[in-house]
Amino acid sequence: MSYIPGQPMTAVAQRIEIQKLRQGDHLILGFSIGGGIDQDPGQNPFSEDKTDKGIYVTRITPGGPADVAGLVMGDKILQVNGWDMTMVTHDQARKRLTKKKEDVVRLLVTRKSLEKAVKQSMSH
Amino acid sequence: MNNSSSHRDSDLQKKIDHEIRMRDGACKLLAACSQRDQALEAAKSLQTCSTRILAYMSELQRMKEAQVMQKVTRRSSDAGPMDDRMPCKGKVAISDLRIPLMWKDTEYFKNKGELHRCAVFCLLQLGGEIFDTDMVIVDRTLTDICFDNAIVFSDASPGFELRVELYSCCSEDDYSAGSTPRKLASKLSSSLGRSSGKKLRASMEPGPVSPVSNGGASPLLLPVPSVPGPKYHLLAHTTLTLSHVQDSFRTHDLTISGNEECSYWLPLYGSMCCRLAAQPHCMTQKMMSGCLKVKQCGADLQSWTKVYAVLKGTSLFCYHRQEDVEANVEPAFTIGINKETRIRAAEKDPQSKVQNICISNQYGGEEVTHTLTTDSREDTHRWMEAFWQHFYDMSQWKQCCDDLMKIELPSLRKPAPATPKQGSLYHEMVIESSDDLSSSVSDILARRLQELELRSQLGTSPTWMSLFEENSPKIVGRPRPCTSRLSGHSPCTPHRLPRSPVSPHRCAQMGLLSSDVSLTSDSDSHCSTSLCSHHYGWPEPSSNFPILSSSPSRLRPRTLSLDAKLSTLRGRGLGGGGVGGGGGNCHCSCQPPSSSLLGPSPISSRSPRLQHSTQTTLSCSSSTSSSSSSSNSECSHSPESSEGVPFSRPSPVRRSLRNLRARLDPRNWLQSQV
Repeated sequence: MSYIPGQPMTAVAQRIEIQKLRQGDHLILGFSIGGGIDQDPGQNPFSEDKTDKGIYVTRITPGGPADVAGLVMGDKILQVNGWDMTMVTHDQARKRLTKKKEDVVRLLVTRKSLEKAVKQSMSH
Repeated sequence: MNNSSSHRDSDLQKKIDHEIRMRDGACKLLAACSQRDQALEAAKSLQTCSTRILAYMSELQRMKEAQVMQKVTRRSSDAGPMDDRMPCKGKVAISDLRIPLMWKDTEYFKNKGELHRCAVFCLLQLGGEIFDTDMVIVDRTLTDICFDNAIVFSDASPGFELRVELYSCCSEDDYSAGSTPRKLASKLSSSLGRSSGKKLRASMEPGPVSPVSNGGASPLLLPVPSVPGPKYHLLAHTTLTLSHVQDSFRTHDLTISGNEECSYWLPLYGSMCCRLAAQPHCMTQKMMSGCLKVKQCGADLQSWTKVYAVLKGTSLFCYHRQEDVEANVEPAFTIGINKETRIRAAEKDPQSKVQNICISNQYGGEEVTHTLTTDSREDTHRWMEAFWQHFYDMSQWKQCCDDLMKIELPSLRKPAPATPKQGSLYHEMVIESSDDLSSSVSDILARRLQELELRSQLGTSPTWMSLFEENSPKIVGRPRPCTSRLSGHSPCTPHRLPRSPVSPHRCAQMGLLSSDVSLTSDSDSHCSTSLCSHHYGWPEPSSNFPILSSSPSRLRPRTLSLDAKLSTLRGRGLGGGGVGGGGGNCHCSCQPPSSSLLGPSPISSRSPRLQHSTQTTLSCSSSTSSSSSSSNSECSHSPESSEGVPFSRPSPVRRSLRNLRARLDPRNWLQSQV
């Protein structure tokens, strides 16, 4: 997932649909995100390119809605319900995921293993 | 044929005699007058008369030649009836001439001393008619040469050539051409500076009085009176034809003769703006009228309606009675006759043995046909002839027949007030109150001036008030329609009647601005403010207002909020020492967003980009508060949620959770639980 700012990027992406879980007054998804354009990308342990300021999944609550839906730690979130997540601040990203009116979030995520899988299948 | 030509001959001869008399009078006036202005005016009329005489004489020559040729051809071949159609004539009007100047900034700013002035005027020639414009004194405080005259040529054919010539004459007070003896002149020129000596010499050389204005005319022997006095020289010329005719303003190129060394030189930009309109007679006059019978569409074949039809412009007006035409009653109906109309003669009607005329028009997608007939075959023939002539005229006059162009008849106007002697351009700048920015500025100025007026009534006034006071007695020139539309179909004229409340103080004689920002393309528009902004040495704030008015409104709120946010964040960052990580993080994050915002998002996002700009700064500050609150709420309901800890508040629970996540150091890299 090489990333050059300003250039269009292509990635093998997977769609993941997460149903939010209601716990009292909150709707939780069961994962944590890190990253954002206002954050230091060098600290991101999951990104291949240390200048990538995208939003990454840093932790998955086991058994939570995200886990059930198939989200994996280290995924880079590209879109949430159609909203772009590659050029957002950390707080914007969090807000987009935690909208109270939305019960479902449909994510577009990418991960290294996906690319590998595609390459493998193509080489056969 | 002979009669008319001899008639025209005598006409021309009379005109020539008249002009010769005028010229003699001008010569005498020139010799007698003492004041510079008078001398310039007299020289101008001398120039005009000479040019007219030249034109008439060449016309006379051509007519004589044509007569001779005709006699020859008639003998040689028996030509049948003249098959060549002549297109109808028309009126051609040229108005609002404006010639931009391109002064060098050195000329303006550094050259404070003498003011190099030139007197200029334009000669316009079409066919046999020559008109001159009023004379304008041009010096470096003028940015354009504007001629307000509207000149109408009444008898132009579609193939006309309108020749515009710009004459100028140096008008230095010191070098009034007197009868200084040659020796003295050369002594003076050697003792004076190089450029001034050159000017002196140039003003004293006799020079040609009647310039060659007709390109191909045979050289005519004309007694050229060498009159002492100012002499005009041709500075630039251009020729306009039917292709330049348009209902709006256009820019045309000028061919400049002369160079910088000449005394009469003016730094012309090289183009000229004007409005050239044409009204062919087929659009304004009745080409054909008579009684017709029109078949009713849809009704039975035998019902014909008798109408009195008038063919004018792009329609055939059908009135019930002939008297209706004079009475200005609305016509019963109108049949359009334009370039798309097709007219043909149908087969003979069995009853009347007269051919019908069918006129077909396309209205939208449908074809509508009107059938007309007349009482006799000759009438039908005459109508068909009229239609053919009309179509021919329209094909010759091309774009002038699409719509009637307005031609303003030159009305008697009061003479323009004398230009102010000396004054910096800045004193007379008009701030156009048509845009938000400029209106606010002018409002501010107006308010201040009102305050000052009150104060001056009490006796005190600031020093800069005197700048306005010295301009107040000047009269504002004629009102001109000036719109500052960006589309640019209006003239880039000086705003003679500024709309700001302090109008009496402003004197807009200077042809400054142009709040039009249109491009100089020959195809549609005219006024080159782009000229003005690029080629003048000094800034034009008012012309920039329309450009800037759109952008600052968008840029300003962003910068203001960013500044405000930065200052508040700095204060906040210093306050929370323990929040050093989070606060510091947010602090430096203010800078990257502004730069990264400009990068395009790699994946097409539906998220509005502008939102980023305003929200970035807000999010910087709010992330501190919101994440802290979220972390608080998180911790309260879910013991596991260890991630929402952006701030290293030294509390035991958080510290232990942080130790678990040593690899993902939240101090530098925010993580949020969702």
